[in-house]
Amino acid sequence: MTNTIQILSIEKTGKESSLQKEHNNKSIKIIDGYFFSTNLDDQKFTKISKLISNDVSQTILTKKNVNKVLSSYSNFNWVVEIKFLPGVTDNIATTVKEIIKDNLKSSFKSFELGSTKIILIKGRKEDITKISKNEANPLIQTINIYPFKKYLNNFKKNQFKIEKVKLPKKKYSKKEINLNISDDQLSLIGKLGIEENDKSRRGTLGLDLESLKAIRNYFSTIKRKPTDVEIETLAQTWSEHCKHKIFSAKIDDIHEGIFKKYIKGATEKIIQLRKDNFCVSLFTDNAGGIEFNKDWIICHKVETHNTPSALDPFGGAITGIVGVNRDCLGFGKGAKPIANTYAYYLADPNKKYQLYRQKNKDPMLPANFIAKGIISGVRVGGNCSGIPTPQGNVYFDDRFAGKPLVFCGTVGIIPKKIKGKLSHKKKANPGDIILMAGGRVGKDGIHGATFSSEELDPNSPVSAVQIGDPITQKKMSDVIIRELRDENLYSSITDNGAGGLSSSIGEMAKESGGFIVNLEKVPLKYNGLYPWEIWVSESQERMTLAVPPKNVKKVIKKFNARGVEATIIGKFIKKEKAIVKYNKTEILNLDMEFLHEGYPKLNLKTSFPKIKKEKKKIIKKSFLIDKLHKLLSSPNIVSKEFIATQYDHEVQATSIIKPLQGEGRVFGNATAIKPLFDDEKSIALSQAAYPQYAETNPYDMAGCTIDTAYKNLIVSGANSKKIAILDNFCWCSSDEPDRLYQLKEAAKACYDYAVSYQTPFISGKDSMFNDFKGFDKTGKSVKISIPPTLLISSIGVVDKISHLTKLTPDDGDILVVLGNTRNELQDSVYSKIIGYEKSKNPVVNSKDALRTYRNFEKANKLGIINSAIGIDLGGIGIAVTKMAIASKKGLTIDLKLKNKISVDQFLFSETQSRILVSMKKNKLANFKKIFKASDYTIIGKCTGSDVIEFKDNKKIMRGKILDFAKSYKQNIKGL
Amino acid sequence: MNVLVLSGYGINCENETLHAFEVVGFKGKIIHINDLIQNPKQLNNYQVFAIPGGFSYGDDTGSGNAMAKKIMTNLYDQLIDFSLKDKLIIGICNGCQILINLGLVPSLNKKDPEVALIENKSGSYECRWVDVKVSNNKSPWLKNISTLNLPVAHQEGQFMIPINLLKSIKANNLIGLQYINHRKKLAKGQFPFNPNGSKDDIAALTNQNGNVLAMMPHPERAFYNYHIPNWQSKTLKKFGDGYKIFMNAKKFFA
Repeated sequence: MTNTIQILSIEKTGKESSLQKEHNNKSIKIIDGYFFSTNLDDQKFTKISKLISNDVSQTILTKKNVNKVLSSYSNFNWVVEIKFLPGVTDNIATTVKEIIKDNLKSSFKSFELGSTKIILIKGRKEDITKISKNEANPLIQTINIYPFKKYLNNFKKNQFKIEKVKLPKKKYSKKEINLNISDDQLSLIGKLGIEENDKSRRGTLGLDLESLKAIRNYFSTIKRKPTDVEIETLAQTWSEHCKHKIFSAKIDDIHEGIFKKYIKGATEKIIQLRKDNFCVSLFTDNAGGIEFNKDWIICHKVETHNTPSALDPFGGAITGIVGVNRDCLGFGKGAKPIANTYAYYLADPNKKYQLYRQKNKDPMLPANFIAKGIISGVRVGGNCSGIPTPQGNVYFDDRFAGKPLVFCGTVGIIPKKIKGKLSHKKKANPGDIILMAGGRVGKDGIHGATFSSEELDPNSPVSAVQIGDPITQKKMSDVIIRELRDENLYSSITDNGAGGLSSSIGEMAKESGGFIVNLEKVPLKYNGLYPWEIWVSESQERMTLAVPPKNVKKVIKKFNARGVEATIIGKFIKKEKAIVKYNKTEILNLDMEFLHEGYPKLNLKTSFPKIKKEKKKIIKKSFLIDKLHKLLSSPNIVSKEFIATQYDHEVQATSIIKPLQGEGRVFGNATAIKPLFDDEKSIALSQAAYPQYAETNPYDMAGCTIDTAYKNLIVSGANSKKIAILDNFCWCSSDEPDRLYQLKEAAKACYDYAVSYQTPFISGKDSMFNDFKGFDKTGKSVKISIPPTLLISSIGVVDKISHLTKLTPDDGDILVVLGNTRNELQDSVYSKIIGYEKSKNPVVNSKDALRTYRNFEKANKLGIINSAIGIDLGGIGIAVTKMAIASKKGLTIDLKLKNKISVDQFLFSETQSRILVSMKKNKLANFKKIFKASDYTIIGKCTGSDVIEFKDNKKIMRGKILDFAKSYKQNIKGL
Repeated sequence: MNVLVLSGYGINCENETLHAFEVVGFKGKIIHINDLIQNPKQLNNYQVFAIPGGFSYGDDTGSGNAMAKKIMTNLYDQLIDFSLKDKLIIGICNGCQILINLGLVPSLNKKDPEVALIENKSGSYECRWVDVKVSNNKSPWLKNISTLNLPVAHQEGQFMIPINLLKSIKANNLIGLQYINHRKKLAKGQFPFNPNGSKDDIAALTNQNGNVLAMMPHPERAFYNYHIPNWQSKTLKKFGDGYKIFMNAKKFFA
């Protein structure tokens, strides 16, 4: 009899090697443990352990062999046992349960099991403590450290314990909340949550006093007290995360708010000017959709998952990516996800920031733990879902130490018409059944929407963390896309993300009028959840469908046949009422109008910020080649190859321009996929953000961002008339007038440049409070705000394969810089790494930029361009070096300086809207027919040697490509 | 000529795998494992059984293990029967891991798996292009091919083979593909040419008849010329190297 199965790899695993290397200890072994809630007899033990292990590569530990087997590796003396906390998603345990059920069928039914990682070491207790800190996250896992002897004893006496969810058996009785209380008490409800009978609080609602007063007024008009569920629902629906109150607020003299004026306003203006069918579905749906070809629509959405990733980087990031996948599944009648994108803004993983959420306790996770966790979260989420992840970037800055930014995006594809009906139109009809499909509901992610709208402080709830389960989602997604959608079996579909059912049903019911939901029907992970918890839980992998009653049986059957749960939980009605029942008791009854529009509108004022003076760092005299090496190896320029190779970008066999480009594998600015086998059109993807430019001039920052995101697609070969963009504003302290000023300026630039470039915004998201309030290691209180960050993602259509460009010049090619170079070194990588010089910040002149881009497009279509790269961080110097590294071919650069700028200014200035191209000598004449002489500079040629040479009037400076490649491919310290 | 391409529980390369077969002339169908279990007789309609890549059961309990156990419980005899006929079976990446866990390759002493695929030596997921040479010309899948340039994308692709078994694998000529370096010589375990540290640079194994091929690289992702990295710098062709594998399947039945 035993209650555990423990398995270890006979040979050293990759994970063990990396742990051994990291901790400089050769005696480390990892055991995969499974703890059962019941004892297994010998027969079951043998059968099950065989099912979940591999005879060839693994050994199963038994009471008899455990000592002998383990001592053959080392004299271990310490053990750490890492288990998930009760209620945290345990994907491995789910799989094991499924294997057991499938094989043992009815003979072994009711049991619980938990997966456990057990690490053994020979060393000191400090060593095992250190390892456990690197391998486990106390927010989601329990960490048990004990001597090896005790481990052996546990083994003999069956004393391994599974962590079970122990919720008190509670009976729900309808709870009414008295809001006729003092303002202070009212505020407390908003900040700490509804008070339970035992005086404990449920956790933040994120409702301010004004909102609570609006709720109080509503209920006094309808002459009754609100229920707890009603308040919870309003908190979710009115959260900044769901309603974007700041973007829609009156701000200074802009009555309609910056979203309507600048973002949507830009798109409306563009649609009015374009008069074509490019824009299909904008802003109203889960993602934005544009025309791909005459039969297909593509959609794109980018989300952030910042706060959860700060608390549980792996769980936060995996939930981010699988969550945005569902936004595509929820676009129109359901688009198939065909590409993922990512962008991480992180603190230096090599630094120790030592921040605490409470004085001397509750430490923030170390920067390298956060970085690694985020990178692997998206890896597991993307790879396991079978969606390629070609496009991304990473940027480091100390100001992300309190909150990392994690952007996850997905591109989807859907036929324009399904059974003759437009696929992007959907409408839940009165009488349609509300069907919830996918995973079950647990306590995970309670209050996610309300808390992501708040600053990270000691009261941030940890139950807000979820862990995605990509396989459950993949199973569900396959059924929807392959078996339901094209049969037209449902009338509407949306994803369960922030706010859970309360949001998804609340939003969808706008299409029909209202809804009635019976919460007791919702399948739960474990018993003991309160109705309000079921209603707002953000448990992942769920879609909500509106299904006509005649199709319901068929739809459920199709889900079930693929191992996916689907449950009827209510119906849509015509009456504009939101009604929720629990065991027949009505616990929510609100007017839809009040639910969606009843929140008090903000009235914001901005003020011009005090300009913070940059510390001057005096330039040390050094040689050009050394400067290049320094820049190449700096974290924001150095290759991100290690991420590209762990993210599957080849799955679906669509990769046509890969993240690593040229024989020398340079991390590209844009990538492309060819989504259909029978059309040569491709989708080009890129993105840009310049948080480093934001404080100097937020307007110019936004201009540069749009310019770069657009330029990268033009350079890749996209049709300039088929480029759309997405905005993700991640701001800080958005209750402060100077931050709001920066926001307004950036949004204004979004309008101006989007209209100039004719690139509609098709979707966007904002996250307004990316601040950390806590303490440093001395106990001093600190506030760390991220720099205002605007991520612009660009998506474009490349009409022909022959339009796709490459990064690699050939021998004899002439090198030309398109666009003029100005002295714009302020906030550049150069000024950060090499030293400050009095200079200007980069400003985009859209007229000049567009001339360059149109001419480039023309020249590329005519086959004049042989290779091309957009010039951005590190300027011309880095662009030419990347070309040389990618092609493994030498270049000669002639430093002919125009406009009285110095060599360093010419090479490293980050002036926007420039492209470095190469062309065959014999194309130069045709090139000159397109470009005016004042619009380009010939800077050298491709020699095919093994060096890059820079010549000025006096001397020649040389560096070997191999050496440059070494600097460029250095590991990022701490990762 | 009909191909059955398996799907379900996290397999995810079925569309492109089916496409590759169709382009060379097969008729095919993607069939969910649960449907196949319900009606295993439909196997009789097919000449090729393909298990594509993916992440069945999220790689939990070891890549390919859970799906192999599901097949073992529900479809094992039918699949063995299929493999003993004049038919072809291919497992790509996760499909390879499933075939290995089923013991369908190398299948020297039947039933139990004899080989394991363990985590890459680097400890990380590797998505990159590699060169492999064909070491076994008797498998119909690999006839008249010398080398191939294909992508791999896996976390657990390191073949682990007990020494004695390796000897008989070699004696029976069951190594299908081996990783080679830029000089076209065996990679000798050197990264990144051998991306996972596989013993003897093994990238694929076959059964004794050669009709069952378990390969870690993805031929369906190197099917067209434009799949190949830096195709713009290379000579214009229509197809990439992966095409050859699918063509060989067609030729076998032609």
